Amino acid sequence: MDKIELKNLLFLARINAKEEEYPEIIEKLENTFELIDEMQELDLSDLKPLNNPLELSNVSREDKGNNRNNKKKFLDNSSESDEDYFNVPKIIE
Amino acid sequence: MNFKEQRENYRLKKISAKEAVQESLVKIKNDKLNIFINHFEKQALANAEHIDNNFNDFKDKPLSGIPIAHKDIFCTEGLPTTCGSKMLENFIAPYDSTVVKNCLDAGSIMVAKTNMDEFAMGSSNETSYFGAVANPWNHDLVPGGSSGGAAACVSANITTISTGTDTGGSIRQPAALCGITGLKPTYGLVSRWGMIAFCSSMDQAGPFAKDAFGCAALLDAMASFDEKDSTSTKREDINFEKSLSKDFGTLKIGVIKNIQKLGISEDVINAYENSKTVLSGLGHKLVEVDFSELSSGICSYYVIAPAECSSNLSRFDGVKYGYRSKGEKDIANLYMNTRSDGFGAEVKKRILIGTHVLSAGFYDAYYLQAQKVRRMIKVKFENFFKDVDLIFMPTTLDQAFEKNRKSDDPNRMYKEDLLTIPANLAGLPAISFPNGFKNNLPIAGQLIGKYFGEDLLLNTTNKIQGVTDWHKMTP
Repeated sequence: MDKIELKNLLFLARINAKEEEYPEIIEKLENTFELIDEMQELDLSDLKPLNNPLELSNVSREDKGNNRNNKKKFLDNSSESDEDYFNVPKIIE
Repeated sequence: MNFKEQRENYRLKKISAKEAVQESLVKIKNDKLNIFINHFEKQALANAEHIDNNFNDFKDKPLSGIPIAHKDIFCTEGLPTTCGSKMLENFIAPYDSTVVKNCLDAGSIMVAKTNMDEFAMGSSNETSYFGAVANPWNHDLVPGGSSGGAAACVSANITTISTGTDTGGSIRQPAALCGITGLKPTYGLVSRWGMIAFCSSMDQAGPFAKDAFGCAALLDAMASFDEKDSTSTKREDINFEKSLSKDFGTLKIGVIKNIQKLGISEDVINAYENSKTVLSGLGHKLVEVDFSELSSGICSYYVIAPAECSSNLSRFDGVKYGYRSKGEKDIANLYMNTRSDGFGAEVKKRILIGTHVLSAGFYDAYYLQAQKVRRMIKVKFENFFKDVDLIFMPTTLDQAFEKNRKSDDPNRMYKEDLLTIPANLAGLPAISFPNGFKNNLPIAGQLIGKYFGEDLLLNTTNKIQGVTDWHKMTP
């Protein structure tokens, strides 16, 4: 992984890092990929990928309203909100 | 005192719920091991009084009058839920998780929430924003992770039961390192609603207690079908506590062939061999199974878990809840700086790995290949279970280790989960229980069962604990 690839990866993950930290981050990631890459030796072309251990169908429920009103509780958890909204910095110039 | 004695004392009115809670609170306030992130004296005493005042309504419930500590990953209405992270340091959950609600309905009283690796990512409890937990057996050693606080809490006799979660071994490994019993249920048995997500296709909540009896009673309370969890499974009503006395007859138990080739310490292998003798003595037949592909489970896990983590943790952006970086002029910097300041190093690393394996050009080589390895492990187990009823193996490669020892070598830390990860990949239930001691430190073995075979796992462990004393050792 080079510095340009890491910069792109950091952007995709919405995480900041200073350029002087890049070599250390790259070393840590490559170290993990060394462990992961052991599985590349296995020929598993006959197997289907498995994304859920029980391969269940989803539980569904009726889409109905209820009388719960947690608006205040939810808004109170934001560090910046007013009566009805979550506040964020300006998005569109 | 173990769970069974404590509950019996409550039911016989030898001790009130309030007195039991007060006893736990004194120990919590004197805790020197950093086991707890928060405790709730006022609420706990009020709940205990409610349970005492309505004795007849609660006395036959599975957890009647019992103080309990919940891992700080379960949302608790009106109270802090931090997940061991700066990101959620001031988060007040707007609702109770199903696990917390079920335990409350079953007559338990939450006294505290336990320390854990940040967002459940770690095997030593050292990644917690609130500092590492010490092992009750030796304070210089780690308790394991990620549910390290929950395991240490029961081990140190502060409460007789606690809850944890297990994504790659986070119940069984700390149970092993702290010398207690811990069970990871079948994926789908216990609701994940209100449990902060790490790797949704593997996360599963489960019980800690000194012994199988306590785990059975707590699992009776925790397990339920929940329409709010899309992977919750409807099961016939099984009473795990009652199943402890059921006669399952002679079992065929798979034991690992060539176990000395897996890098397991001599002391752990010796304890394993002794346990095999115990199982034979109970009349069970032991059959060797070849699990030479065990190590590829680690590769698969460290792709799938970070991939799901990168997706699940994208919700932490500083807007609706959690930490927010101050003074940001635009939304892009708000996201970036919030996440960079709010997450710890291990969490950020796993987000980056997950983002990488899901990105264009790497998806097939990493994510799809890891899912194929996952299929291979599941098929392997299915084939084993055509011949055997249970599989028995050690829980960990070695005993508890020193703080900082493995955090300097991440791959060595990741390999800590070699023996626990396969059950998570396949979604199978597994129970860890102490099966030996060396240098005054516990050693553990684990039984892995068929899907929804928790009754047999608990029953077999209970029988082992009927003829051994390892679970009675106390730090």
